[in-house]
Amino acid sequence: MSAPQRIVLAKVGLDGHDRGIKVVARALRDAGMHVIYAGLWLTPEAVVRVVADEDADWLGLSLLSGAHNTLVPRVLELLRGAGMGHVRILLGGIIPEADVHKLHAMGVARVFGPGTSMDDIVAFLRQPGEAVHD
Amino acid sequence: MIDALLEKLAQRDRRSLSRLLTLAGRGEDRAEIDARIESLPHGNGRVIAFTGSAGVGKSTLVGKLIQTARADGKTVAVLACDPQSPLTGGALLGDRFRMGPATDDGVFIRSLATPGGNEAIAPRLPTLLAILQAFGFDLIFLETVGAGQTDTAVSRLADVVVLLLQPESGDDLQWEKAGVLEVADVIVVHKADLPGAERTLGQLKGMLELSPDRGIAVLGVSSQSKEGMANLYQTLWQPNARRHKPGLSALARDEFEERLSRVRDGAEFRRLESEWVDGKLREGQARASVWRLLS
Repeated sequence: MSAPQRIVLAKVGLDGHDRGIKVVARALRDAGMHVIYAGLWLTPEAVVRVVADEDADWLGLSLLSGAHNTLVPRVLELLRGAGMGHVRILLGGIIPEADVHKLHAMGVARVFGPGTSMDDIVAFLRQPGEAVHD
Repeated sequence: MIDALLEKLAQRDRRSLSRLLTLAGRGEDRAEIDARIESLPHGNGRVIAFTGSAGVGKSTLVGKLIQTARADGKTVAVLACDPQSPLTGGALLGDRFRMGPATDDGVFIRSLATPGGNEAIAPRLPTLLAILQAFGFDLIFLETVGAGQTDTAVSRLADVVVLLLQPESGDDLQWEKAGVLEVADVIVVHKADLPGAERTLGQLKGMLELSPDRGIAVLGVSSQSKEGMANLYQTLWQPNARRHKPGLSALARDEFEERLSRVRDGAEFRRLESEWVDGKLREGQARASVWRLLS
């Protein structure tokens, strides 16, 4: 039996809308994953610290503040700096279509917008990822 | 690979610490880690276990104690256990959220999903604790799933066991039940700022006076007002004469639990299980087959 996937869910920056991320947390738990809920109002440094200490496979960030173009690149940079470049990143929340391509190019695995079904997120996480190790 | 990780662990490499905890927690490489970690310089980090029912405030209290310990110049590691669903294997690990965001290098928090309560992780905990000790933390907080009355398996791994209760959590007869009170070294009436705390404290002290030789400390603590926090922190460092080495049979039971969980996860067991469910096996046959798998 393979070990359950570990995913850290967090909100970065000044954004208090945490209903969405809690719904996702529950859906992933019910899909048999180990979800580490790191909470809201976190700095990029604090998020990366959680991912490193928890040795997570995935990081899911929820952003509804419009600050994704500032915060996400910072998180990615810090992750690589911490030797956690293999961790795959999901984004959720309000992210304009025009920014999605840029975020993918930076290394974000997938962006899920409003109206996404939980089944889609679960199915995406269950896809075998390319094995990357540091 | 384990060798390289252990070598870097001894040099206090945080990434290796994190990897080793994952490997030991999955059980696969536990035996190899166990065999080699004893040759590393072993820290003498003090292990404090926190137990008590869900919602009593274990994570919040641990969060406040981390602050107190850091102000005292001590480094802290936390193993925070939460239950894993027996149906899906999933878990929502939300303890660290209440311990506050930490970018402080002197604090390390790892969340742990525990299948089937604390009993099932008991065999892996000594290895996880040994890894944290080898890294050199001064204090190691072990937060249990909060199974309350059955939460005794973790107790012998700790230097001090802290039991959390809250006001209005039962009448005085409740405290007479066997289980937790017998393993607790310190009893904290948490949320001591709430009404009823004095009465609960009074009941507990009254009951413990009946057997004064057990030397259990009873403290009122509030994470809100910080009342009693400094006192509790001091208590954690006091020598604890009640702790002693576990019997060999306790170790044997841990190892048996580990063996059982592996057998249960195996393909052969699942095949038998479906035959059993479909009524293709008589009970005697089923028992004999399970015995064969276990021996």
